[in-house]
Amino acid sequence: MSESAEALAGALTAEYAAIWAYGPVGVRLSGAERKAAVEAEAAHRARRDALVVQLSTGGGSVPPDRAGYALPFPVTDRASALRLAVQVEERTAAFWRAALPVSTGAERDRALAALVEYAVRATRWRRSAGITPLTVPFPGRPG
Amino acid sequence: MVLTCPVAMGRTTRQDESSELSRRGLLRAGALLALGGAAAPLTGCDLLDRDEPPPQPDPLAPLLDESLRLAAGLRAAATAHPDLAARLLPLAESHEAHATELARLTGVATASATPTAAPSDAPPTDRSATLTALRKSERAGRESAIRACAAAPAERVALLGSVAAARATHLEALR
Repeated sequence: MSESAEALAGALTAEYAAIWAYGPVGVRLSGAERKAAVEAEAAHRARRDALVVQLSTGGGSVPPDRAGYALPFPVTDRASALRLAVQVEERTAAFWRAALPVSTGAERDRALAALVEYAVRATRWRRSAGITPLTVPFPGRPG
Repeated sequence: MVLTCPVAMGRTTRQDESSELSRRGLLRAGALLALGGAAAPLTGCDLLDRDEPPPQPDPLAPLLDESLRLAAGLRAAATAHPDLAARLLPLAESHEAHATELARLTGVATASATPTAAPSDAPPTDRSATLTALRKSERAGRESAIRACAAAPAERVALLGSVAAARATHLEALR
C-alpha cells in the first residue's frame, strides 16, 4: 500500500470510530448540542463515504468497520459526552494531519479541510463543556 | 524561554568551513534567542559586518512575521481590555509557539522576528470593535496559512496544517 493510501486508511478507521462515538454522545445531549452532534456525525459519515470510494477505486484495501469501539471513559451524562466529543474531534483531526505530508494537490486540500474543520469543532465542544483554554497551539499534533 | 539552537545541524566535518559555520550558527542562535525574549548579548558576532550577500528569505518568513504580528495584536488588545485577557492571552501564546516552530523549521530569523513587533494599529477602545478587528486578522491569517500549506514541501506541511487549524480555532474562540 502506498504511504498515501496507508494514511487515508488510518483516517478511515478514525472516521469509523468517530461515527460510532457520536452514538453515545448524542443520546446524552439535548437541544442545540444534540443538533451539533448530529451535524458532526454527518460530517464524519461524509468523509467516511468519500474515503471508501477513494480507497476502493485506487485499488487499495479498504479497512473494515468494527461492530464497536472502546470508549476512553464511560459516557454517563452531558459532561462526559461533551468531553468525548472534544476527544473524538481532536483525534480524528490528528489522522488527517498525518495524511498531509503524503498527499498533494486536491488530496492535500481535502486533508487540510478536514483537519481545520475538526479542530474548529473541537473548540466548539470545548466551549460547550466549559473547558479552557478553548484552543490548543498545534491542532492534530501528537502528544 | 529556552530554545535549543541548531548550531550542530550543519556539516561539521570539513575544517575549512568550520569557522564560517560556527559564525552562522551564532547568528542563528542569537536570532532565536532574541525571538524567545532572552536578551543575550551578541558578543563576538557583528551582525552588520557581513561579508556575503544575505540569503534569500525563506518562503515561510512572511508567515512567521504574521504569527508575531497576530500575537502582538492580541497582547495589545489584552492590555487595553483586561477583562478579555484570559481569552486573548492563550491565543497570543499559540501564535508565539508557532513562530518558534517556524523559526526552527526555516532556520532564518528576520529583523521583525522579535516579540516586540508592534501591530499595525492600536486596538480600538471599544470592546466589540476590538474583537471584530482581531477576528479579521485571524481570518486573514488562516487564509495565508492555508495557502502556505498547499504550496509547501512535504516536510513542512504538517506544521503548516496545524498553524492553519489553530488560526481557524482562534477565529471561533473570538466569537
